[in-house]
Amino acid sequence: MRLYAICVYLFLYIPIGVIALFSFNAGRHASQLQGFSTKWYGKALSNPFVMDALETSLIVAFCSALCASVFGTMAAVALQGIRGPVRAAFDMLIYVAVMIPGIVIGIATLIGLVTVFDQLNPLIAAIWPNGFEPPKLRMGIGSLIAAHTMFLMALVVIIVRARLAGMDRALTEASSDLYATPMGTFRQVTLPMIFPAILAGFLLSFTFSFDDFIIAFFVAGSETTLPIYVFSSIRRGVTPEINAIGTMVMGVSLFLLISAQLLLQRGGKKSR
Amino acid sequence: MENRGYTGNAEPADRKPIGELRGVTKRFGEVLAASDLNLSIAEGEFLSFLGPSGCGKTTALRMLAGFEAPTEGDVLLDGEVVNTLNAHHRPVNMVFQQYALFPHMTVAQNIGYGLRQIRPRIPKAQIAERVSKALDVVRLAGFEDRKIWEMSGGQQQRVALARAIINEPKLLLLDEPMAALDRKLRKEMQIELQDLQRQLGITFVLVTHDQEEALSMSDRICIMREGRIVQIGSPQELYDRPKSRYIADFVGTSNFFNGKLTQLSDELSTVVLDNGMQVQGTVGEGLTGGQDVCISVRPEQMKLNRKGEGLQVAVHNRIFLGEHTEYLVTHETLGDFLVLAPRQAELTEGAFVVGDTATVSWEATAALILDRN
Repeated sequence: MRLYAICVYLFLYIPIGVIALFSFNAGRHASQLQGFSTKWYGKALSNPFVMDALETSLIVAFCSALCASVFGTMAAVALQGIRGPVRAAFDMLIYVAVMIPGIVIGIATLIGLVTVFDQLNPLIAAIWPNGFEPPKLRMGIGSLIAAHTMFLMALVVIIVRARLAGMDRALTEASSDLYATPMGTFRQVTLPMIFPAILAGFLLSFTFSFDDFIIAFFVAGSETTLPIYVFSSIRRGVTPEINAIGTMVMGVSLFLLISAQLLLQRGGKKSR
Repeated sequence: MENRGYTGNAEPADRKPIGELRGVTKRFGEVLAASDLNLSIAEGEFLSFLGPSGCGKTTALRMLAGFEAPTEGDVLLDGEVVNTLNAHHRPVNMVFQQYALFPHMTVAQNIGYGLRQIRPRIPKAQIAERVSKALDVVRLAGFEDRKIWEMSGGQQQRVALARAIINEPKLLLLDEPMAALDRKLRKEMQIELQDLQRQLGITFVLVTHDQEEALSMSDRICIMREGRIVQIGSPQELYDRPKSRYIADFVGTSNFFNGKLTQLSDELSTVVLDNGMQVQGTVGEGLTGGQDVCISVRPEQMKLNRKGEGLQVAVHNRIFLGEHTEYLVTHETLGDFLVLAPRQAELTEGAFVVGDTATVSWEATAALILDRN
């Protein structure tokens, strides 16, 4: 049994370890180790295409994580006040949203947005003052952020809801008993208490958005995110540069995930 | 009105009612949590809701606080109907069962919370001054900057108290405030609460299931059962003149013997017990001749004699309690019951030992004829 477990872990982690190892390869072939060097990191970071893709990825990840945190928290707080079948229905829909494969979300968002854009663009052109070029809605950073926000929101709702459920209802009652308006109670009691969960949700969302390839691939339009860049350059062969990018992404992701986990644990303890 | 004509310092009639429940009923779906509650709370009194869990006492308190709206009837504060007025608009504060202190705030921030909500804003210096005064009152001076989790259970309760009284509420509601404290601390807090109430003159409304707590602190007790108020009165009144077996059993301990009311009279009525014995006693309200009743005699009202008139019993068990000795005695047909003998009697007449035969007697006026429920 133990041997079996070791095998599973090796199978899971050896490829990752190999990528990290080869990113320090001095040679230019991905399959032969030729001494230690960090030159591929330098090369990756000075590649304008990589930096461009990184910038896009960071903007998308930050914006969609922010939107998902705000809207997700709002949804979670609202759902907390609902009981009965309506709540059960929303709960189910949220879990479904998390479990739906990325490819389905990608295609659905693409079709949805294209349809909406096709309807809206003539309308905008019609009401736009003459003599000016009317703006045209198209796939790009905006659609990327929208698509990511949608699937990340469900994640934030689940995390924040768990925290809200663990919060003593007497605390909000005490606040209202002490003359705080519902908004005042939210600002002074609820928000500070669920903030660690919101922050954890933000970090997780950031990571997921940053790493996402499938959904981005469908809705990015002409934009290139880092995962899309990596995917397209792999077609020209795996270079140590790709390994270096992969290792960096992994490092940052791991850092964010662990931070989120710590936040959730620490916050949970404090509220008891 | 049920709460009229009481004596002593519990007299509510000459004081202004600060809170009132008029025919208040509360349903949660199919569940009837409170049914036709009528109660007037006098300014400055210490009133307790007493009853087992699920009797509706907490629901009554929550309707006064504004967390629940009555399904029927009116809740009045200071003469105004406040049925649907939100909790944050009511001049009423509550001490919660688990205190519900805000864990992300310091002691001072917790206590000043209510004052910080008031618009136009109260100057910070003034809030700080009142917070330190409130801390003085609950004897926690200097604890301003402590975190909540650094405080012991008893200290947390004082913080919760200070957080409520700093707002000078019309009513201070206490929801089983001692439930989380150990026995010794509870005793101390009971005395402290009473002192505090006299000192501040705030009207206290306490919810508890602990009869000792209610008896020792309250001016008046409102006993509840299955959503209804069954009796309101001063502690002595409830003890001496309970309206039913339920109340006699809930307030203090008593011995009960079932029988039938055969002859009803203003002075002493007669009951034929189930074993055929005839007993006299004072009849309670609302009983009719021929009704199934029970006789209640408090253990300390019974006298244990070596010989003479009375019930022939055998001493079954003896528990020495210091100033009293508790005897469990057995009668052939009436079964086991308790007799409390004062220490003085034992010193002069000598104590009984297990196995002794004795007679038990009581004054006819000490026997109360009560409804069996």
